[in-house]
Amino acid sequence: MNFIKRAIKNVTRKPSKSVLLILTFFLIGNLVIIGLGVSNAAESAKILTRQKMRAVVTYKIDYDKINQYVMQLTDEDEINKFYENYPRVKLADVALLLQDERVKTANAVNTNMWYSDRENSLDFVHLNNQAEENMGQNGQSCWYDENNVEHCEIYKEPYFLIKGNMFPSMIEFEDGEYQIVSGRFYTQQEIDNADMVCLVSENLAALNGITIGDTINLANSNYSTWMEEFGATQEDLENSFEVIGIFSHNNPINPDAPNFNYMYPYQNPDNMIFMPSTAEYMAQLTLSQKEWDHYSQMYPEESYYSEDKRPSMENMEENLYIENVTLLLDDPMNVEPFVEEHQNSLSQFTSLDANNEEFNKLAKPLDTLSIYANFIVWLVLINAIVIITLVTALTLKTREYEIGVLLSVGASKLKVIGQFFIELAIVAVIGFTLSIVSGSLIAKSLGNKVLEYQIASSDINENGNGGLYYPYDGFDPWSTDYSTDITLDDLISEYEVKISPLIIAEIYVLGLGIVFISVIIPSFMIMRYNPKKILMNQN
Amino acid sequence: MSAILELENLNYSYIDGGYERQILQDLSYSFEEKQFYTILGPSGSGKTTLLSLVAGLDTPKSGRILFEGKDITEIGLHKYRRNDISIVFQQYNLISYLTALENVLLAMSETDNELPKDRKNVAYNLLERFGIVSSKADRLVNQLSGGEQQRVAIARSLASNVNLIFADEPTGNLDTATEKEIIGIFKDLAHEYGKTIIVVTHSDSVSSMSDQRVLLKDGKLTKL
Repeated sequence: MNFIKRAIKNVTRKPSKSVLLILTFFLIGNLVIIGLGVSNAAESAKILTRQKMRAVVTYKIDYDKINQYVMQLTDEDEINKFYENYPRVKLADVALLLQDERVKTANAVNTNMWYSDRENSLDFVHLNNQAEENMGQNGQSCWYDENNVEHCEIYKEPYFLIKGNMFPSMIEFEDGEYQIVSGRFYTQQEIDNADMVCLVSENLAALNGITIGDTINLANSNYSTWMEEFGATQEDLENSFEVIGIFSHNNPINPDAPNFNYMYPYQNPDNMIFMPSTAEYMAQLTLSQKEWDHYSQMYPEESYYSEDKRPSMENMEENLYIENVTLLLDDPMNVEPFVEEHQNSLSQFTSLDANNEEFNKLAKPLDTLSIYANFIVWLVLINAIVIITLVTALTLKTREYEIGVLLSVGASKLKVIGQFFIELAIVAVIGFTLSIVSGSLIAKSLGNKVLEYQIASSDINENGNGGLYYPYDGFDPWSTDYSTDITLDDLISEYEVKISPLIIAEIYVLGLGIVFISVIIPSFMIMRYNPKKILMNQN
Repeated sequence: MSAILELENLNYSYIDGGYERQILQDLSYSFEEKQFYTILGPSGSGKTTLLSLVAGLDTPKSGRILFEGKDITEIGLHKYRRNDISIVFQQYNLISYLTALENVLLAMSETDNELPKDRKNVAYNLLERFGIVSSKADRLVNQLSGGEQQRVAIARSLASNVNLIFADEPTGNLDTATEKEIIGIFKDLAHEYGKTIIVVTHSDSVSSMSDQRVLLKDGKLTKL
């Protein structure tokens, strides 16, 4: 321990040298703290904002890849053949992705608008707005028969929005936007069996006196005279569904919303009905088959009407045409690693999207700030190592005699290096400790100013991806975009330069690292000689 | 009297201007314990080189150095310097930011030899024995005169309780009166305290006070 005492004596008995070194470390410390503080604030702001976003990954068709592929095709038949077998997302791929324990659930959703049965046995939840008053008076739907004669009927708006999923849970339910208040969600077995089961809202249930285990009757279309063409009947449209769950939701209707009066019943979340996609498909199968049979006779030469294309439960996936599947992960921070890991194991012309394009765009000023700050840290560290090494080398050169003396009295090289390390570490710790106070103050004001400048000089739309048309506040019944909208303000509000204990620890570790390198190099340069040579150099 | 230090066929050379310069050539000699030796020789004869080799500060090209019958490379040069010998330099080689007392304590702190528990008092007494009173012992060494600094260096050489002390031109920077005083100390150390003192010098007045005078010439030692 005597080498420690000697180190302390050297520092205290050579005050001018020690003060100069403290000042050097103080300046280095300030620059490193500014760099680390600003960089950490930028990274933390990004992480905190990312954590607020939904952890969703979208599995979808990669149109860019398709375009690239088609562009290089020259044979027209080949191009036509490609379009006939247009790529689609594969549920088998999703099943594999679901095996990853980070995946909580997946939404492979198909949406339809349905009616009550002809008896109107199921009333919808009323909004009592202008749109409802005008229902049935808004227009006509027209069709042409085989003799090209036009037939028109009054168009009747649907009441219910049907959301089917291929998996036994949904993102909306997993993250609490919808909650089951009674009963349960449908199971994988019910999906596989295409069981006619459904979940209704508590308001719809209350209005119609529905309890768990009751059945409701729905029609997947409004009966039209054009259906007579292919022999469809009203019965073909209607199905009974057992209510297995009742849910509530966090999408209250705002009657003051600008588009409230233009909202139809099916746009009301209370009139949303969840069921397995298979049940939804099954309910429409009779009508689809009759229609297909009719048109396949009319257009037998069309490839669409080849026998294998006749709607059935076997070719359901092909006929449902699911454009994308959204996966909900356990943690937003897992999104990017998940995408990176699975991107290359998917079917051709499909891809995973981390839904972070908007986030990355908004985070650009923070990224730039972080890059500059990290650059400063590295620049300062490299310069610090060079400067302190040179200063130490010069100092040790004047102390060669001391090294020679210490070695001649039998002190080990390790103890000699240890003494020099402690001497420099003492002044470094004092310098860095002082710099923590000043550095954190400078980092705060400088970091905010640079960020303001970065934002001012970038061309970011501060409203994020807003501006889309929604019938009323926030709720888009058809949307399959489950990513969270964020704005630049969200990011900025999370940006705060704080000198955390971790940064302080980093400063000391980096500082002691600099000291170690700065001591070891010149010490080695001197002590590679034997003690006689060292003493002779001094003499 | 038995030999404390034996040199067997020592050879040492170095390259100077492209030519090999032989400094020591098959040098053999035996130093007996409790004697005060001076090694004389003309400038450039290799006196300091010889001292560096026997003090374990450098290694010979060939040959052996035996301390109390053991090869010093087997003891380990580091350990040998720490526990078996002390060196007094012409330039004193004290550590400037330490006091006289702390310089003496430095040698005590490095040795593995058994020392009294109250090291501080022992160090004060040692210094006082060589004329450094306690008020001076607590001064930084660069506040002392040359003669005082050399006394501190001698006190430090004794502090680690070794039996073999080397000195390289210990009076080279001192006036005649102080020179006599320092050599008197060395003589006392040999005769009263049983230490073996080997002093390298070019001064006849110093060598005239030693028990044994040895001449280094043409790479060999000859007893005068």
